[in-house]
Order: sequence, then structure tokens, then C-alpha cells
Amino acid sequence: MTQVSKIVAADNGTAHASPSSLALKVELAARTVAPLWPLESAIAVNPLSGFEDMPFEQALGDAARLFGTRAGLDLRLWRRLSAMGRPTREAVRQESIRDLGGLERAFEMVGPDITLVDCLMARLYDLPIADALAHDGDPSAERVAEWCAAYFAKGVAAIPLGAQAPGLFAAALPLLKASFSNPLVKSVPETPMAAVRWALYRLAIEPADQQRFLRSTVARMPGWAGHIRWRDEQADDDRRQERPSGMADLIALILISDLAVGARPVEAIDKRVDVRRQLAAHFQIAADRFSPAVRDLCERDDAGLALIFQQAAEREFATPLAKSIAAKAKTAIADEASPDAQLLFCIDVRSEPMRRALEAQGAYQTVGYAGFFGLPIAVREPGSPRTRRLPVLVGPQHELALAPVRGAEEDARDYLAARDRDRSLRALFNRLKSGLATGFSTAETVGGGAGLWMALQTFAPGLSARLRRGMGGDPQALAPAIDRHAGGSGLTAGERLSYARAMFALTGMKATARLVVLLGHAGETVNNPYASALDCGACAGHGGAANARAMAAILNDRDTRAALGIAADTHFVAGEHNTTTDDVRLFDLQFLPETHSGDLERLQQSLAAAGEAVRTERARKLGRTEQDLRRGAAHWGEVRPEWGLTGNAAFIVGPRRLTRSIDLDGRAFLHDYDWRIDGQGEALATILTAPMVVAQWINCQYLFSTIDNDRYGAGDKTVHNPVAGIGVVRGNGGDLAVGLPRQTLFHDDGTPAHVPQRLTTIVYAPIKRVETLVEQQAVLRRLFGNGWVRLIVIDPQTGQVRRWADDRELNEDAA
Amino acid sequence: MNEMTRPMLHLMKKIEVVVQAADIKLVETVLRDAGIAGWTMIRDVAGMGHHGFHQGRTIFSDESGLVMFVGVAPADHIRNAADNLRDLFHTRAGVLFMSDVEVIRSDYFVAA
Repeated sequence: MTQVSKIVAADNGTAHASPSSLALKVELAARTVAPLWPLESAIAVNPLSGFEDMPFEQALGDAARLFGTRAGLDLRLWRRLSAMGRPTREAVRQESIRDLGGLERAFEMVGPDITLVDCLMARLYDLPIADALAHDGDPSAERVAEWCAAYFAKGVAAIPLGAQAPGLFAAALPLLKASFSNPLVKSVPETPMAAVRWALYRLAIEPADQQRFLRSTVARMPGWAGHIRWRDEQADDDRRQERPSGMADLIALILISDLAVGARPVEAIDKRVDVRRQLAAHFQIAADRFSPAVRDLCERDDAGLALIFQQAAEREFATPLAKSIAAKAKTAIADEASPDAQLLFCIDVRSEPMRRALEAQGAYQTVGYAGFFGLPIAVREPGSPRTRRLPVLVGPQHELALAPVRGAEEDARDYLAARDRDRSLRALFNRLKSGLATGFSTAETVGGGAGLWMALQTFAPGLSARLRRGMGGDPQALAPAIDRHAGGSGLTAGERLSYARAMFALTGMKATARLVVLLGHAGETVNNPYASALDCGACAGHGGAANARAMAAILNDRDTRAALGIAADTHFVAGEHNTTTDDVRLFDLQFLPETHSGDLERLQQSLAAAGEAVRTERARKLGRTEQDLRRGAAHWGEVRPEWGLTGNAAFIVGPRRLTRSIDLDGRAFLHDYDWRIDGQGEALATILTAPMVVAQWINCQYLFSTIDNDRYGAGDKTVHNPVAGIGVVRGNGGDLAVGLPRQTLFHDDGTPAHVPQRLTTIVYAPIKRVETLVEQQAVLRRLFGNGWVRLIVIDPQTGQVRRWADDRELNEDAA
Repeated sequence: MNEMTRPMLHLMKKIEVVVQAADIKLVETVLRDAGIAGWTMIRDVAGMGHHGFHQGRTIFSDESGLVMFVGVAPADHIRNAADNLRDLFHTRAGVLFMSDVEVIRSDYFVAA
């Protein structure tokens, strides 16, 4: 470099002393994809979590380009939904006027008797829609996906990869070298980061372009990249060390495969149609009779149009809801009277219909709280690895042993024996199945039995479920021990008290009834890789029974009760709401005093009646009979045992009295909150930075899985093949599927059951307090400021309703 | 203590970085990559910034709130780290400070 060019370079700021860190670039590129949890603990994540630092609308477009996805729901589907009034045509028209900048612009004449809004409505509802581009195959990604499956699916892959090798890249390198005759691959460096650097050099990617390029490389395999992120950032150490891997491993393999076959062609086919001509045909005029004012509208893409439908749906849902809650705030009286029983439910949207139905049965007070009951725990069954039972935003602080419940010791023994028997049979079967000499004879030996079992699950699913339960024992004979037990840490008196206090402080609830029930929830389904997606998200994709039982044990603990001043006749009971059948099972009733048996009996009758009412409501939505719901829970061919969290649209923070008389149609997460006892706003900060964030992940997963089910979702369930409990692939290979399967979100005729819309959070608290909180918490500034969540605040003191507007201030206009 | 018995002091640089807890891993990557052998991490720091007062973490989220890293190393390593953090701060919120420090055991602050 000459002296002159050095100076120029310095002026341009390019004479940087140190080369920018490739490790940092790889780490930032990893954040293009969301972590993907394994099937046993599948939890919802926003597939666009790496884009939350930009406005929602921009993120849709950027992510669509990067991942090769749709940026909005197919307009044909929006038209179908709108024909059903979701959103209504009138709401879309209002949104169009707003979108065009107001009445004056919208009603500008752009042709004979034709206004601008007429043209926009024609584009939204009437003009032909071009087909989306078909996805091109990605041979490099497909090849690398095979190596990933062989490497990570330890103990299941027929040809396991890298038994001794120290990482994914090292394990796949010999295969990579053997797969290509290209002499280039012989000189690939041995370590992943060096290999990435080498490949970037060979591909002639300039330093300034490297970050973007690495992001687009990771985006080619969101499934396996997401799995690697999960391992790297979320998995327990033993799991991580078992199969070490990093994002550099994956990137190196993809890029070297590209190099070996010649660089991947990037093509963009411009299929732009002549919208002006289409509009002219629609209005039956000559194309040249439109004024130039129509040009902007003609240039809009389908994604921009889809967003108008989405915003109309959001507004049509949220505005009347906020108004009716605000009206209730003025009239509803506080429920101070002593209720027959109090029940704490998870905030999950499926709790809402159950709460409504139960409240109709008697003087029951229901309360919404995160379903892990604020307990940051992992639990360990004897002879099994621990499982986390808390939201993934927080790490476990305690490990509780699952121990036999007093009075159910025999059941616990039976369950553990059955579990061990089942494990060794499975291990034997897998060995025999894959053995060269035993493969055929195994099929012949077990084939008859397996066939019978299949027939039973098909024609008598109820009987097969009873048999399975009979043979498998009852896992609920084990419960988490809050005392130190068999390797479990237990909880100290101080810890018990602080978790109990947190529950009352966050919900504003006071334990006044003779029975207080803590209800977790779980789905029930067989032969379903996505079973844990129906379980409790707050419990890391598991049923909520363990947390409910631990919390009930804490609240029944003598010292804790004394410290909290809980009345002697108040007893806490744990239970689990089965969201597939709407049965509620209560646990450990042997510890309930005789004096409360009457209360319990009445409650159980009410729960049964409420369950029946909810089942009827849900059966209608699924287009089936009630009996068929029970059957579906046990049928091995059932692709839609329940709708899960389909329809989720709101997160409401406030006392139940504000929503009690509103039918929220199973679409709202409900978190109780009392602003009067939260002077510093700490409880509200916790609710908005944790449960609401989890709700937002769920909302975004449902939203994007609906918008592009093939790419952001998992596609059709019937072609899913699980890969060693890690995830599913479609057919016999390719990337791991992310997101939710088609059957969770769409009716059989292809109409979305889930209307893609963003979460609306409604908070009943002083506006000033909410404003301060949003300023103090980066995550809230990001989510509300960038429009990932719509925020509406109802001020209890002034009655004002305000919407968080894009200018990051609470706008007076609630509509 | 005379000059002969006084322990020898070595000039080093110190870097202090305050970032959001969600970005802990990114900062660790930068420090490690710059050849910094070790660092101290102080969780749940709070303070005044451009967006007003930043609160500590909330009870159910490890990702809320701020953390502070303190690292000491030879000047060129700290400068490398600072350069890369500057890249990071294009898209992430945070602040960093550098200062001169003296340490007794210089070998303690150099990556093996």
C-alpha cells in the first residue's frame, strides 16, 4: 500500500487496526434464527426473534427475503377469512382509508367515479393474485441436514456419525471429503472457525459483506441452526457435551458444500404483473383513464396488502375489547365476598373458557398466574435426567426430587418398574431392529403383536388408553418434594415464603376461601411428536402438575402459613386441567382434612359440569362431537386432538372482575394484577417482561406459522418423521421443521382457523406507571415501540384509555 | 518497604462493558476472541442512561436488566476487544470504558 492510499483508507475509516472478529460475526449470524427446543419440551418461539430490533412491518419484508418466505398470508386466504367476517369488509375499508392517509386522500378521484380507496379495495378483494414463487431446492443444505441428523441423533441413526470426534464439523469432515471429488475440499482447514474463514476467502466475500452473508447462510437451515442454538445456549451441560457443536460448524459445512459443487446461484424472478391494467379491467375502463395518483397503489406488493387485512383484524378485535373492559372498570364491583373456592389457573388462553364455565357454576373466584406458579425449578424422577419446569427466560434455581407421595408408595413403585421395563424393551427392540441378523426375525416376532396393538388404537382407542395406563402405572404417584430428598435440594423456609409472597404480590389475590386450588394444565394425545406443544409453555413444554403440587405443598407448610397469616381453615389443593378432554384431576386429596370433604365434593361437581360446558364449546369449534374429543385424545391417528392456543390475540393484565362478564372466546391470556398494592411497579415489570414475553413468542409462532406454514411452520403432519426426539423432518430428509404443523392452524379445507394478528396487551394500571416501565425495560421498548405487540392502557384513576402509538407515546386515541 | 522489595507493577489496560443481559454471550465471544484470559461479571447493575433509569433484572427473566463486564489484559488485546465491541454497538445498546491499570502479576492476565 502506498502512503497516499493509506491516507485515503484511513479517511474512509477502513484502516481498522484489528480485523473484525469472525467469532462475533458468527455469533451474531446465529441470532438470525430462533432456538429450536427438542420435541420433549417444545415451546413456542418467535421465528423472527432476531428481527425484533426493527419495526414489525420492516421485519416481515427483511425476513421474507432472507428466509425465502412469504411476508404475509396469501391474499386468497385473507379473502376467504374476510368473507367469514374475520375481519369484516367494513373494518378492512376503514383500515384502507387510514392506510391511505385519511379521508381526503382516500376519496380522491383517480378515474371516472373511482376513488383511491375503491382501487385499494379492488386490489384487496377482487384482482387476480399471482402465484407465489416455488421454493428452489438447496442441495448443500439438504446434504448438511443429513450429516446433522446422523451426528445429533445419537443412538438412533443407523450409521452414527462422530462417535469419537469432538464436534459436528470434525465428525462430518471425512464424509465431506469423501463426498466430493473437487480437489479444493482436500485443503479445508481442520477447525470450524478456520474453515469458515477459508470458505469466505474462497468465495471472495468482502469483510463488509460478511455479516450479511453469514446471516443468509444460517437462514438456509433454520431448523438445524435453531437446534444448535438451543444446545449452545439452553441445554444442560451434559446434553451439550454429549454432542458438541457451534454455529461455525454448520456454516463451515454449508459453505464448503457450496464451494465443492460451485457457488449457489442466487436468482430473483420478477413476476410483476400490470396492476393498472388489471384495475382497468375490473372497473371496465381504459387503463389510460386513471390519474397518476394511482401509481403508488399499483406498486404495492401482496405483503403490503396482506398487512392491511391483518391490521383490520387487529383493530376490529382490540378496540371493542378495550372499550368494554374500560366500561367494566367503571361499573364492576370488587369481589370482596368470601368465595366458595378460589382457583388459580395458568394464563394460557385455554384456561379462559374453563374459568368462565366454572364461574357460572357458583361463587368461584378464578385468578390467572403463570402456570409454573413462580417456582424456578427443575424436577428429577429417580433414574432419569432432570427436566426443567419453568419458562425458558429464566434458569432453574432448585432441583426437586420427584418422590413417592405418602399413601401412593405402591403406585409409585409400579410406575417406576413399568417405566424401566418399557425402557429396556425399547432398547432391546432398537438393537434387534437394526441388527443385520435379527432385523427380519424381529419383524416377524413382534409384528403380530404390534399389528394387534395398532388395530386396538384404531378401533378401540379408549380401551387401548386404559390398557396403557393400567400397564404403565401412574406417573402422578410421584410428586416434587419440597423437603430435601434423595438428591433433591428442597426449598428452605425463606425460599418457600418468598415464592408464596411473589404469587400473592403479582396477582393481588388474597387466600380467603376454605379451598384454594392451584391448577396446572396439560394436553393429552398419542402418536404425536408435537404433544408437548399442547402442554404448558410456562413449564417449558410439560404438564403443570409438578409445579402446582410443589406450590400447594409450600402453601400448606405450617411455617409458611404462619408467616403469611393464612387462616387455619384455608387449604390448598393442586390439580391439572386436561385441555384435550377438559377433565380436571385434583392431587393429594388424602391430605385434605375431613372437615373440607363437603367443599371438595361441591367443587368437583362444579368442575365436572364446567368441563362438560367447555367440551361442548370446543367440540363445536372442532366440528366434532364431545365424545369424539375423548376418543381423539387416545386415537393414534388423530391429527388435531385440540386447537391448542389457536386464536390467541390478547394479553390482559388486571383484576378478573374486568373481564368476568366478557366471553373472550379462548383468545386471551389473563394475568391478574392489582395496581393498588404495587406502588413501585415491580409486579407489573415482572408480568410484562416475563409472562407477556412468553405470550408474545406464542403469538408470533402462531402468526408466522399461519402466514407461511411451509417455511415458518412445520407443514403437513402426515408426512412428519421424528428425528431422535430432536425434531421432525418432512418425508425422509431435509432441514428440521420449525414452528407448528398445518393441522394446528388450518381447517381441513385449508381455511385458517387462526387469524394471523399481533398480540394486543391491555394493562389496567396508571398510565404514568406504564410509561415509566416501558422506558426502563429495553425489551418493552423493543416490543411496543417496534409494533410487535400492541399496547392499550386503561388508567384506573382517570378512566382514560390510551394506545401505545408508533411514535412511542401513549396516544389519546384508543381506537 | 524500599524500592528493592516493593513488588514490580506492570501496566495493563482495563475494559468495563455494560450491556443488556440478553447480550452476555456476545460480549463473552468478543472478549475471548480478543485474547482476554478472564473477566469479572457483575449481574443486575442499574443506572442512568439515555432512556432514563435502567432497572435491574425482573424476577422471572434472566434476560432483563443490565450486566457489567470488567476485564484486564495487555493494551493490544483490550483495543481489539474495544474495536469489536464498537461493531457490536452498531446494533446493540451498551457502553464501554477503558482505563490504565497496574497489576502485580502480569502473567495472570494473559491468555494461556
